[in-house]
Amino acid sequence: MSSAKRRKRLGSLFVNGALLIIILIWTIPTLGIFISSFRVRNDITTSGWWSILPHREWQATETIDPRAEGLDPTEVMVIAGVTGTFEEFRNGVTSPDGKRITWIGNRRIGMVEVQEQVWTVSWNFTLDNYRQVLGGQSFEFTRPDGTVEVVPGDNMTRAFLNSLAVTIPSTVIPILIAAFAAYAFAWMSFPGRKWMFILVVAMLVVPLQIALVPLLRDYRALQINGTFLAIWLAHTGFGLALATYLLFNYISTLPRETLESAFIDGASHFTVFTRLVLPLSVPALASFAIFQFLWVWNDYLVALIFLGGNPEFELVTQRMAAIVGSRGSEWHLLTAGAFVSMVLPLAVFFGLQRYFVRGMMAGSVKG
Amino acid sequence: MKIQHIMRVLSVLLILTLIIVACGGQQEATPVPATAPPAAATTAPQTGQETAEEQAEEMPEVPFDYPAGGYLERAIKGEFAGTTVTVDGAFEGNDVDGVKFSESVKAFEEATGITVNYIGNKEFEGSIAIRVGAGDAPDIVDFPQPGLFANFVRSGDVIPVTTFISDEWLSQQYNDGWREFNTVDGQEMGVMHRFSGKSLVWYPKAAWDAAGYEIPETWEELMALTEEIAADGDTAWCIGIESGAATGWVATDWTEEMMLRTTSLENYDAWVAGELPFDSPEVKNAIETWSELWFNDDYVLGGRSSIVSTFFGDAPGPMFADPPQCWLHKQANFITSFFPQGTEYGVDYDFFYLPPVDAAYGRPFLVAGDLMAMFNDRPEVRALMEYFTTPQSVSGWMEGGGAIAAHKTATREMYGSDLDWGVSELVNQATSFRFDGSDLMPGEVGAGSFWEQISSYVAGSIDLDTAMKAIDASWPR
Repeated sequence: MSSAKRRKRLGSLFVNGALLIIILIWTIPTLGIFISSFRVRNDITTSGWWSILPHREWQATETIDPRAEGLDPTEVMVIAGVTGTFEEFRNGVTSPDGKRITWIGNRRIGMVEVQEQVWTVSWNFTLDNYRQVLGGQSFEFTRPDGTVEVVPGDNMTRAFLNSLAVTIPSTVIPILIAAFAAYAFAWMSFPGRKWMFILVVAMLVVPLQIALVPLLRDYRALQINGTFLAIWLAHTGFGLALATYLLFNYISTLPRETLESAFIDGASHFTVFTRLVLPLSVPALASFAIFQFLWVWNDYLVALIFLGGNPEFELVTQRMAAIVGSRGSEWHLLTAGAFVSMVLPLAVFFGLQRYFVRGMMAGSVKG
Repeated sequence: MKIQHIMRVLSVLLILTLIIVACGGQQEATPVPATAPPAAATTAPQTGQETAEEQAEEMPEVPFDYPAGGYLERAIKGEFAGTTVTVDGAFEGNDVDGVKFSESVKAFEEATGITVNYIGNKEFEGSIAIRVGAGDAPDIVDFPQPGLFANFVRSGDVIPVTTFISDEWLSQQYNDGWREFNTVDGQEMGVMHRFSGKSLVWYPKAAWDAAGYEIPETWEELMALTEEIAADGDTAWCIGIESGAATGWVATDWTEEMMLRTTSLENYDAWVAGELPFDSPEVKNAIETWSELWFNDDYVLGGRSSIVSTFFGDAPGPMFADPPQCWLHKQANFITSFFPQGTEYGVDYDFFYLPPVDAAYGRPFLVAGDLMAMFNDRPEVRALMEYFTTPQSVSGWMEGGGAIAAHKTATREMYGSDLDWGVSELVNQATSFRFDGSDLMPGEVGAGSFWEQISSYVAGSIDLDTAMKAIDASWPR
């Protein structure tokens, strides 16, 4: 066997091993959250999700009341044939037959347990977290006349529809505008083209936070504050610089010959754009769409400012913030909430990934 | 081919969105006709030129008191029916507190036909500044920090309540101490709404009774009890100060408690106002008093090193283990929402007043709470502000638990549980009470350097002198 072959095999082993480790590091937290989302609240706060795996645990086989036995915890004691002080028993003393004698609790009210190590799993699963996230929480009020009334909280439906209503146009509009702009910057010659493009790229470094107050003022003047139109425009504006830049990079690398032959055949700019450029740049469009969709779907601040925190227009991110309670006492619901809010972005990603991959392959084998 | 496909998908999506938006619009529109009929019904008897007595006879029955001749009275007659008042605050519109708020204003909405639209969110401190700065101020703001409220008062954005609510009515509804919290530079600018009591120590009642521990009346007794529990083999206290970006606020609370208990109220007020520096013997003595307890590994579950990394909400959890792993936990009354499900007040847990250190300073009580401030002057906004001076405007919290009405006219029947009533009784028995100092200090300190430096001090990475000097240096002058 040649050493080159062996080295090659070793190399692939190394690469595969590294990939496996990266995948594990990447997925284990997600898996942990997924498992936690099915656990009951008290379990989540007291033990880790890995306790669903089989593990060895000390379990009591016998309980001894030290006071009934007349034991004095201030002195050396003999319990079940084992000698030790209170401190030693608190940590657990192992008896010769493999059992453990442990003092549970303090000197006053503590009990002594004879424990045995057994294999166990804690499979106490519930759908309650998902029920509360999707169907809404319920709140109890004790009225002055002593009756207890349960007031239902909001469910997820409205937040989900609102988020869709915000996200889809906020993704589609900037793509449409940016594709036109990128084409113009790449293939049309007009005075000041270079400077205008530099201006657009420069916009990339402007943080959107500084635009919040002036935008809000303008929206108030236009009386569109707190409407969907306002947030569509805001997201379009904030996303446009990156979209134009990304699409320009792609569109400007399209083969010049193809476009020129179309022009020679008498095609107008519009024909070239719709019949040639757009179909050829599907991978770039799709990758930007994924970016923009995820960004808008996960956005909290922009929606808060321009939709005004109105419960009527509540988005999924705001719903998640509300569900944990004012001081975060219901944080265990975030596990289920994370998976519910993750469903759609995942679907978008896998849906568009098809174009993404196909687009990258297209052209790679042509001369 | 491909592009046609994409275009088709896009257009379908767009149409879908438009449908959703259209539906959303309808949903939004429905509440208006829903509130209109009672409005129309109540408008009918209003004729205008009548004597006060005749008006009083015609007034519809409402479940709350209102000042005579005020805007609330006119609102009950239906004068402002159909209008909307927007309220902003630091909790989400439909989380636990959001639901409690809407329960609280239900009586007002039913009696007046005015719609109360709550739009709060958790980024309140930032978003309210943006909104007011852009001229888009909400009508009424629910401030959890009087310090932040004072900033808006000084910038001239808040409309003083004394312009339309009489001093007589306010003194009838509030004890004097409470009115000081919403007074800025000598003028009463807002109204106190609700509060939570902080000087409370929680203990696992069932195990406590079984072990035969006694409730301590003085700081020495408390320390003796701590020592006794340690001698029995347990750690007495559960302490955790982790709270994300706000890590350290639990330690600032303890500092305030000790400031009230080891020095005079004048010194406390001077400290909060920035006149008494952190690097003074009084403040350092207060911090050292609790440090004695916190930094003894026999007294705190997990020892000093675990305090900074324990989430404040998870901290009391071990108290409910069987048998308890710790026996004492100091926290405001809202902590009960973090207690394990199924635990019951009076059975599984109970509370006592954090005892005084020095008898010379009486029995002070530390509170934190929310006040209401008016940003837009319209009659219906005035009516709602008047409603907030009644205990019924806190009914959601009184019946659902979690906060206590700041009004002295609140009664036992209004509360859904003995717990909240018990806390309000403790506050009434206190010889003095003060507002959470860190909420009154400038934001850079009260919600910044105080949290950070005290956390570093607890973690042991810097000493007390360094921490105090750093906080003093950050105070905006």
